[in-house]
Amino acid sequence: MPNKIIEMGLLPETSFVILHQAPFSGPLYIEYGEEKTRVALREEEARFIFVEPEN
Amino acid sequence: MPNSAKKQKHILLVGNPNVGKSTLFNLLCNKNQKTGNYAGVTVASHEGTYLYKDEEVEIVDLPGSYSIYPTSEDEAIFTKYLIEEQEKYSGVIYIADALNLKRSLLLYQQIKDLGIPVLMVINQVDLAEKRGLHIDSKKLSELLGQNILESNAKKNIGIDEIRESIFKDEFSVSDKPYFDIPSENLGLVFKISRQIEEKNFYKVWTLIAADTYLGKLESVKTQLNQEDRKCMVPKRLQVQETIRRYQQIDGIITQTISKKPQFKELLTEKLDKVLVHPVLGYLVFGIILLTIFQSVFFIAEYPMNWIDAAFAWLSETSRTWLPEGPLNSLISDGIIPGIGGIVIFAPQIGILLYFLYLLEDSGYMARVIFLMDRFLRPFGLNGKSIVPLVSGTACAIPAIMSTRNIENVKERLITILITPFMTCSARLPVYSIIIALIFSDGTFFGVKYKAIALLGMYFLGFATSLIAAFILKYFIKNTGKTFLVMDLPTYKMPLWKYDLKLVLGKVWEFITGAGKIILAVSVILWFLSYFGPKDDFHILEHHSDVKLENSYLAKIGKQMEPVISPLGYDWKMGVGILTSFAAREVFVGTMSTLYSLDDDAPEKSVIEKMRSDVKPNGEKVFSFATGLSILIFYAFAMQCISTIAVVYRETKSWKWTAIQLVFMSGLAYLASMLVYQFFK
Repeated sequence: MPNKIIEMGLLPETSFVILHQAPFSGPLYIEYGEEKTRVALREEEARFIFVEPEN
Repeated sequence: MPNSAKKQKHILLVGNPNVGKSTLFNLLCNKNQKTGNYAGVTVASHEGTYLYKDEEVEIVDLPGSYSIYPTSEDEAIFTKYLIEEQEKYSGVIYIADALNLKRSLLLYQQIKDLGIPVLMVINQVDLAEKRGLHIDSKKLSELLGQNILESNAKKNIGIDEIRESIFKDEFSVSDKPYFDIPSENLGLVFKISRQIEEKNFYKVWTLIAADTYLGKLESVKTQLNQEDRKCMVPKRLQVQETIRRYQQIDGIITQTISKKPQFKELLTEKLDKVLVHPVLGYLVFGIILLTIFQSVFFIAEYPMNWIDAAFAWLSETSRTWLPEGPLNSLISDGIIPGIGGIVIFAPQIGILLYFLYLLEDSGYMARVIFLMDRFLRPFGLNGKSIVPLVSGTACAIPAIMSTRNIENVKERLITILITPFMTCSARLPVYSIIIALIFSDGTFFGVKYKAIALLGMYFLGFATSLIAAFILKYFIKNTGKTFLVMDLPTYKMPLWKYDLKLVLGKVWEFITGAGKIILAVSVILWFLSYFGPKDDFHILEHHSDVKLENSYLAKIGKQMEPVISPLGYDWKMGVGILTSFAAREVFVGTMSTLYSLDDDAPEKSVIEKMRSDVKPNGEKVFSFATGLSILIFYAFAMQCISTIAVVYRETKSWKWTAIQLVFMSGLAYLASMLVYQFFK
């Protein structure tokens, strides 16, 4: 897992929202944290962060 | 008499990417800025100075980073400078982003723990307020033991306070580190710290935890024994540190940031609904590209006509006023039109550059990267590669430098190697003149053939770069992970005036750079054409075609003929191509000079002379096949010494620089030969 994810504040058990995705399984555009930081990352990277659907 | 020796101070400007460092840099330093790159992305360090209350302050703007541990070349530059040049600077201005304060604090803590004096500036505070985030700077200042200032760089708020603080040396130094070294590694840290006599434990920790170059202490690593190496898994240590730091930062944030219950949606979020949309997003990008193309080629026409007229007048005037003779011819028909041939492209290059700067400034390019990532991956490229490819249409040199933000070494290498295939502005003069020679004025559904041909050349450049990338993918070793983890910054209003200033500077550089080469080349050509082997030559007689043929220049050209005639070129074109190896745009200047040197009809423009040039058998010299062959040659050939130099500097590899040169030259030769043979 690229360390960069953690360095940007996407720590384990951070909840995030997927706002958009580029076509053909392209990168995800996500928003997370209190400050609603927006970051792009590929599906492969996103899989490292455990995703649990929020109600 | 008071001693008026000015005090000198050196300050670094650091922070995450996209926090407004460069904006602040430009506001603080109003003179002596040495810029190191084209596009707005800071990948080289900038240095600038300003004078305040009799003190001269030099500021170095470094590339942004999220952590002291670099993941890409530009971050490595940042870390290296920060650590190695510690004696040279007195303090760091750390710019934190009010909209992303939590993330900003990671690097901040690391810098403080290294013992470096810091003055913190929180930027975009008002924007955060609008969003519903209130930051209690006083509380934050207390908790961190840190001097904090607030600013809004875009609106020029807080700049004077910053200058005042710098003057008063209001930098804070940590007395206690934020990060506690994990107990399992303490023993090793103690041991090394005694060994190298380094009192700062965090510094020693970074040495253990770094997996790439981290400064002067690097040599110590080799002194560590096997036993020590076993408990060092750098990446894991870095992750451990980062997680622990964020836990701390969380605590600080909850005490200092209060959020209003309703989060107001920023303009950025609204815009992104369209700009990143699976269909609309690409449409908009396409429209933007087309708009740029349109502007560059059609709006530019007005200034281009003025410049054309101006140089024609200059040429005419000089022809009339200078004494008769070959020197007159050289200047009026060679050098002046030659330089005019470059200046006339200044508006186009300027408009193109301006658009590129504005796009970078606004934050839109991150969205383009997002949209293009999926499509570039099959070619061994990263979404980030789109930026150098697009800016390569202006000039490959800064484009190649901007690849420093691509983390994966292989992706970066491929991007560097293929960028020169993109149609750069130096090829424009050549394309324009040849296309004008070989295409009629007809239209196809209202679009001029010439315009289609030009678009075709741009498309060819892009297609070739992708094909080359695809091939290279299989020849280059895979190293490390490929990933895309990228911040999507809030959209910002571009710096219209500042960017205009930058563009004018770059265009001037282009003209003077090319101008010098044309001047030198023209003079050399003149000498070579004017003198020849003794027996056949009368120096004082006015030139006619026969005499030129006996000069040294012609002799050189004739030597080349066996090599270039399969491509459809005569010796004059051969000379043109040869001089282009210094810089492509010199082709037009060379042609002007050559056609003026053996001249019976000086009133005709260069292009008319070229058009009417016929071979002994009556055929046109610049036939369709030959013209097309020249176009293809310039599309593929590596004709730019500066680019070769930059490729070497960025790849640090003779091997790849040579491979690129050989491959491109070979491709240019073969392709233009095939094209000529096919169309003749």
